[in-house]
Amino acid sequence: MSTDQENFESLRCLLSLKRHEAPPPGYFDRFSREVIERIKSGERGAGFAPLERMLWEAPWLQRFWAAIEAKPVLAGACSVAMCGLLIAGVIYSDKAEIPPVGLVPVAETGSAPMAPTAMAAADHPLLAKPAVFPETSSTSPIPNGPAGTSLMGDIGQLRAQPASFSFPRGN
Amino acid sequence: MIMAEPASRKVSKPPTDQPAGAPATPAPVEDMDLVKRARRGDLGAYDELVRRYQERIYATIYHMTANHEDANDLAQEAFIKAFQALRSFKGGSSFYTWVYRIAVNKTINFLKQRKNKSQMSLDDLDFHAEHDPDLVALISEKTPRREVSLAELQEKLNAAMQKLSEPHRLVVTLHDVQGMSHEEVANIMDCNIGTVRSRLFYARQQLQGYLIDYLK
Repeated sequence: MSTDQENFESLRCLLSLKRHEAPPPGYFDRFSREVIERIKSGERGAGFAPLERMLWEAPWLQRFWAAIEAKPVLAGACSVAMCGLLIAGVIYSDKAEIPPVGLVPVAETGSAPMAPTAMAAADHPLLAKPAVFPETSSTSPIPNGPAGTSLMGDIGQLRAQPASFSFPRGN
Repeated sequence: MIMAEPASRKVSKPPTDQPAGAPATPAPVEDMDLVKRARRGDLGAYDELVRRYQERIYATIYHMTANHEDANDLAQEAFIKAFQALRSFKGGSSFYTWVYRIAVNKTINFLKQRKNKSQMSLDDLDFHAEHDPDLVALISEKTPRREVSLAELQEKLNAAMQKLSEPHRLVVTLHDVQGMSHEEVANIMDCNIGTVRSRLFYARQQLQGYLIDYLK
């Protein structure tokens, strides 16, 4: 055991060599400056919440925050003021008059003139509402849309004609 | 320039939570004051914190990686990450211990991801090495290869350190090189003192085997 300890003592003497390893002269003068530069260049806000990031960028907020941290009474007063504003806002919003829903007059659709924007929308192909066709069914496959709206024009308009068969007599 | 002296040479009675190698002058209260100012965006305060601990953080990472460039990058990233995480620092430990943990975790993750051992990029030995009585005695009396130079010894020592696993290398670095106590090492590595002692013993045995030609 004593031999081991002696060997370890030699090892510890040898390990003391590592304490003499030093970076180039002036290295540590630049080190902190580079760290601060990297923090300033954008790595500062990476780990902060948006509120804290806002604190970094607004000096008056920093001073305000420092004052709040230093004076608990000021922090309490601010919180009371905020609560008061919140309660006042809630009370005011309750007292605000809202017109009843059922009493709003509805304009007559037939007599009301078309608004200019609506007219423009009707003229513009992109803004115009697409033509609405009635639903087709298996019994009436041909939609009865307005004339000319079909891509095939009149070709698509089929007319049903009654078929009459007359049989000659005498046969 | 001596980067990491043993704690007994620099600090007579370190605070309970502060590692022994930390500079003796700054009190934890002052650190906390700087931390509070840095939280509010005072980069000057954080610059002061970086200046206080940059040498020891760099040294620890350097002894773990044996590469100056890697140590430079990792040390800078550790301080940047610490700045970004300042809001999570509750003050339960000293700022130094806290930033030390960040640096150590970052270094171990880096070493795990580094599959193949990169080439060593060693720092130069300072002027005091040639006059260190321990080293002079070791070379002139005990080393069978008396012609060995300090530079060669440095390279062999670092190569042997790199053969250790990361936890064993970290224990040797923190205790035998940085001069921290077992308690401080356990605090940083988040393990009990028994684990530190056993790892230290095993690591020393391993190193002794690797460096046997330079020890007897």
